[in-house]
Amino acid sequence: MTGTASPQDPTAIRISNVSKTYGTYQVLKEIDAEVARGEVVVVCGPSGSGKSTLIRTINRLEEINSGSILFDGQNIHAPMKTSALNQLRSRIGFVFQSFNLFPHLSVVENVSMSPIRVKGVPAHKAHDKALLLLDRVGLADKAFSYPGQLSGGQQQRVAIARALAMEPPVMLFDEPTSALDPEMVGEVLAVMKSLAAEGMTMLCVTHEMGFARDVADRIWFIDAGRILEMATPEEFFSNPKHPRAQRFLADLRH
Amino acid sequence: MIHDMIAIFQDYWLLLLIGQYPNGPLGGLANTLILSALSIALAFPVSILMALARISKWRLLRWPVTVLVYVTRGVPLLMLILWSYFLVPLVTGADVPSFVTMLTTLVIYQGAFLSEVVRAGIVSLGHGQMDAAKALGHSYLGAMRYIILPQALYNMIPSILSTFVSTIKDTTLGYVINVPDLTFAASQVNNQLLTQPFQVFLILAIIYYAICWSITFLANRLERRITRKRAGLGGGRAAEALAMPAKIASEQL
Ligand SMILES: Nc1ncnc2c1ncn2[C@@H]1O[C@H](COP(=O)(O)OP(=O)(O)O)[C@@H](O)[C@H]1O
Ligand SMILES: [Mg+2]
Repeated sequence: MTGTASPQDPTAIRISNVSKTYGTYQVLKEIDAEVARGEVVVVCGPSGSGKSTLIRTINRLEEINSGSILFDGQNIHAPMKTSALNQLRSRIGFVFQSFNLFPHLSVVENVSMSPIRVKGVPAHKAHDKALLLLDRVGLADKAFSYPGQLSGGQQQRVAIARALAMEPPVMLFDEPTSALDPEMVGEVLAVMKSLAAEGMTMLCVTHEMGFARDVADRIWFIDAGRILEMATPEEFFSNPKHPRAQRFLADLRH
Repeated sequence: MIHDMIAIFQDYWLLLLIGQYPNGPLGGLANTLILSALSIALAFPVSILMALARISKWRLLRWPVTVLVYVTRGVPLLMLILWSYFLVPLVTGADVPSFVTMLTTLVIYQGAFLSEVVRAGIVSLGHGQMDAAKALGHSYLGAMRYIILPQALYNMIPSILSTFVSTIKDTTLGYVINVPDLTFAASQVNNQLLTQPFQVFLILAIIYYAICWSITFLANRLERRITRKRAGLGGGRAAEALAMPAKIASEQL
């Protein structure tokens, strides 16, 4: 699995035979999966099935015990200098369930600081770009507020803008709307939809089945550390094959 | 009695202020303040390094510093001063001025205490901030410098001030190794007068109290402002981070 793939490689992320244990508990079991360039994949499954762990291994916030994860042809879990890892990470956008904005920085600083500090973008350019991105997520008027002054939905949109500021070719979302009040879910999903429409490669852990139906190219269903089903939304919702997936969907509809 | 004190003050205020200077070394209140300010100025960066070492994943860094912090916190300051005073010249063979001995000891002592505050401030931020920083491509030290420490240290401002207060009080112990500070000057005055120890040491107490009280007053006001500001800004995490240093600040005096 040594990749020297060119940028024309149609695969954005290739997960091969990935296993991970916490002590004696195996969270991920020989996962094999791929995300194509421009593809939107929704990952769903019961709580505790390993969705967060899987998505966090993709930018190596979690280590794995065996297997490999190729991003742009490079194994993210190969031994490497931390500077090389940081460089790879800077090209994978990540949106957390709990937003994790930097509370001591204004909204626009949250968005512009990483391009400045990590990529060496000149401050005024990063600032202008940040304002554009904030406009794009509908928060131009909040640029000089602090995260603590925003609603959850607004904070999550800032978090998306912050990730986009690094111009990543791939975006990962770990339950971006689970911590939100119901009336704020829509505004975040709308931003994600517009991203998908622009051709962003996205891997989204979410239980928003409406979003999955409308936007996803494929759905991965995970249970107990295994991907039990990979299907298009039509297949998955109308005719789930695995009994666990059937039960999961039945539970969701209640 | 009040008259005695005013008379003493009129006769000896210069000695109390600057010691024997310029005929001898700088002493008195000036030296006390210089010693305290230097200790806190050095203890602050030292405490950050100690805190980083204590949360480091490298044992070689973590263990020695952890031992140092525990020993320092578990031993009376006077003991540390005497060790430095007698052992350092024995080991190094150098004749270290008592001011330097006192300064070094205070830096290590206050650094160890402050490092616990820094560490608590970092830990109370939770993993989310570091995860977000890493996900954006920041290096560990970059994340510390621009994201973690600014939050942890901002919450620490009151406890830095209260450490300053306790440092001022701790400098009096320099008396035992003849550091020419305010206490030393007062005891010189007492030796010259011989008959008025109560008045002399009451003046000494009043001066210390006035200085320490002013700084504590400032610390409390800052603390309230930070609490208010953070309540408007941060989430629950920031409030938790604040709770600890705030408690220390109010316990010091
Ligand atoms: N740091 C950890 N240490 C031990 N067990 C963990 C840790 N993180 C997650 N787990 C366990 O791994 C399993 C999968 O967790 P997670 O990936 O968060 O699930 P999901 O996101 O699908 O709800 C859970 O059973 C959880 O308890
Ligand atoms: Mg999860």
